[in-house]
Amino acid sequence: MPVSDELDEIQAIFFEECTEGLAVAEQGLSAMAAGDVSKEVIAGVFRAVHSIKGGSGAFGHAALLAFSHCFENVLDEVRGGKIAATPEVTKVMLTAFDVLADHVAAAQGVAGPPSDAAALAALEEVLATKGAGTMAIASPAPSTPVETTPVDIEPAPAEADQFGFTPVIAGVEELDPFGFEPVGVSMDDLGSGDPQPWTVRFDPSRAAMANGAEPLLAVREVERLGGVMTEVDISALPPLRDLDPEESYLTWTLSVPATVEESTISECFDFVAPDSVVEITRAAASMAPAMPAPIDPSPAEPKTAPPTPVLALVETANEPPPPPRVTSTADARQVEVVQQTIRVDLMKLDMLLNLVGELVIRNSILSDRLPPVDQERVELPELARLTREIQDNVMSLRAQPIRQAFSRVPRMLRDLAGETGKQVILEVSGETTEVDKGVIEKIGDPLTHMIRNAVDHGIEDPADRLAAGKPAEGLIKLSAEQKGARIFVRVSDDGKGIDRVRVRAKAIEKGIIAADAVLSDEEIDQLICAPGFSTADTISSISGRGVGMDVVRSNVEALGGRVDITSTPGVGTTFTMILPLTLAILDGMIVRLSGQRFVLPLTNVIETVRPEPGQVRPMTPTSEVIELRGNYLPVKRLTDMFGLNEEARRSPEESLIIIVESESVGNVGLMVDTIDDRREVVIKSLDQNLYPIRGLGGATILGDGSIALILDIDALVASAGPITSNAPLKGLAA
Amino acid sequence: MSKLILAVDDSASMRMLLKASLTAQGFRVESADDGEHGLERMHDVVPDLLITDINMPKMDGFELIEAVRAVPQFRGTPILVLSTEFSDDKKLRARSAGATGWITKPFDSEKLGAAIRRVCP
Repeated sequence: MPVSDELDEIQAIFFEECTEGLAVAEQGLSAMAAGDVSKEVIAGVFRAVHSIKGGSGAFGHAALLAFSHCFENVLDEVRGGKIAATPEVTKVMLTAFDVLADHVAAAQGVAGPPSDAAALAALEEVLATKGAGTMAIASPAPSTPVETTPVDIEPAPAEADQFGFTPVIAGVEELDPFGFEPVGVSMDDLGSGDPQPWTVRFDPSRAAMANGAEPLLAVREVERLGGVMTEVDISALPPLRDLDPEESYLTWTLSVPATVEESTISECFDFVAPDSVVEITRAAASMAPAMPAPIDPSPAEPKTAPPTPVLALVETANEPPPPPRVTSTADARQVEVVQQTIRVDLMKLDMLLNLVGELVIRNSILSDRLPPVDQERVELPELARLTREIQDNVMSLRAQPIRQAFSRVPRMLRDLAGETGKQVILEVSGETTEVDKGVIEKIGDPLTHMIRNAVDHGIEDPADRLAAGKPAEGLIKLSAEQKGARIFVRVSDDGKGIDRVRVRAKAIEKGIIAADAVLSDEEIDQLICAPGFSTADTISSISGRGVGMDVVRSNVEALGGRVDITSTPGVGTTFTMILPLTLAILDGMIVRLSGQRFVLPLTNVIETVRPEPGQVRPMTPTSEVIELRGNYLPVKRLTDMFGLNEEARRSPEESLIIIVESESVGNVGLMVDTIDDRREVVIKSLDQNLYPIRGLGGATILGDGSIALILDIDALVASAGPITSNAPLKGLAA
Repeated sequence: MSKLILAVDDSASMRMLLKASLTAQGFRVESADDGEHGLERMHDVVPDLLITDINMPKMDGFELIEAVRAVPQFRGTPILVLSTEFSDDKKLRARSAGATGWITKPFDSEKLGAAIRRVCP
């Protein structure tokens, strides 16, 4: 339903229309009074009143609706020539017009409800006498109480009329003053005993498909109510050469669960053609609770006298005594109410996932190999849609809210507060993000380490915090969100940030880096994830053994993800686990680099540019930028980064620049040779024994059976390749 | 893609009400203010379903339905009449003109939506 503001606005327009309509009606009625009773004039008055009636119903002005309805009836007869537009009739209508204007004012709330008894009575009399003896204005029949004037707005709702238009009950019950409401006589009320399923027989007329109708839709709708097709009568089906595709030949019989209301079933057939036959019946057993054998409610006394030999055969074939039917149907109904779950071995789900992946790949192979005409002929697009739906469903089977992994954090923080004396407030967001079950199980440990690390190394002692002008209580934000095919789990603290001087010194001391190594801030931050690294001066029971962050990185990388660290001294540190959805279908752009194909996730792609000469220019001897609408963006040559250099380096003008969005560096241009295609690909993780290569997110099998590597844009643009020094460009790129 | 509906009614408030109710139920709605414009808009919009009023200036609903059905492209397009009228002879006229169904105003938003899905899944 539209929201109420919107309704008020529309209603205001309706009142404007009423004002216009009243003006038109007044003009027309005046013309009629002056003797112009032409068809156009009368039709104009009719339309004006008709519109007022239509809107008044829609906005719930019952009194206005009732009066305009009566007025319209008279106008309709006059318009149709059944009532002559005599001066007397016109006079009645002029009076009615005044009352109508009062009703409109009342509906607007600018006047009280008018007394319309006299005008109504006069209109009724005009209708009754066909305008013959009109003089009623002066003497309204006092015996007619206005409140009960029967105005038959709606025909009896339950009956389909002979024209095939069953009135769709449009009644908004609360504003319906005429007492009609959808009738649904339920046979359940009539007898005890268990209701039997409905039997619905639907025999559309030959011409059921005329006028844009489609009988099958009614059948499908009944099926959605739980109906099961039990029989299709094809006896009327002619030989193929005589078959008219626009005629209907089949008769369906469906069985619908007893719990469905009869009126709900019959509604499905609201728009079937006039001479179609719809029979909704229920097996007699439901009406006869006294029926013998099958309805024995006592499970203790198995009946041995089955009603038919067939049943006897079935029952005696079973080892245990036959369960009384009533019990079983009762069970069946209970089952409908209770939400059922089933435990399934995860291995089976994984197998299903893999098979669906294969199915997706077969689909793309087919769409590669078949010309478009044949694809349509074999309904490949439909197959692809179904495959996609199966995949989504299977994925959802494994998905669970990440809340499960987050739930142990508050407890942990309380324990840590006891041990360290650091009070921490936790803010959690995105805990309903659905993540693959396997991922949830495996991020538990990394999450624990990240939280401990944040409390132990990030958050300062209360005294230090107060001295730094921060609240005594620390703040840790825990969040999860899904972006494209990746899940971002963040732990950020408002602590002191990473002490890079100390980290660097420690790393040199531990022999992790050479004493003269030149490292960027980001690279120093990454060192805390290096194996065997620890900066804590005292080894606490919580962290500081130098295993924590190492565990985080290796666990996350084992899941095919990575860890990002951003830190600002004095302000805080954010650890981000970027995790893949296990099996994801990725919308990818397939690009070519020195003849090899790679897949770029389309979610990262902003635009593609064919550079003009001079648009890409060197920034430093090893870096290039592209000028794009006044901004300078760093450009990376992917062929260089992957060591795919051809003998002759392509000039930028012969290449394409794909502008991608990255978490860490903002927008970056990636130079590729050409774009091949846009395609959904199945992500296959790279084998465990391949060392995790930053910049690659996995692999896929393309339609022709060849393998393409999937690029991980964020890792790629952040990684230190030959063309990496884009730090000075950050400001320009913004 | 959600279903595209062309709503033809001479009353602006009714058009807005239809648009608001049906948009809220996930349909896309285009509109026209009389039969003539409705016929023009049919060709621009090529809707999945036509909803039309009966009493309209210039070309009324019956004429519109006949004209639409005369276009081969729209022979199978479901057409619902939405009118305050409910007399049998009007319904008969609408059916012989080619209407798929008839809904009496005032309409209940959700029931109208259900009716639309009934003829145009």
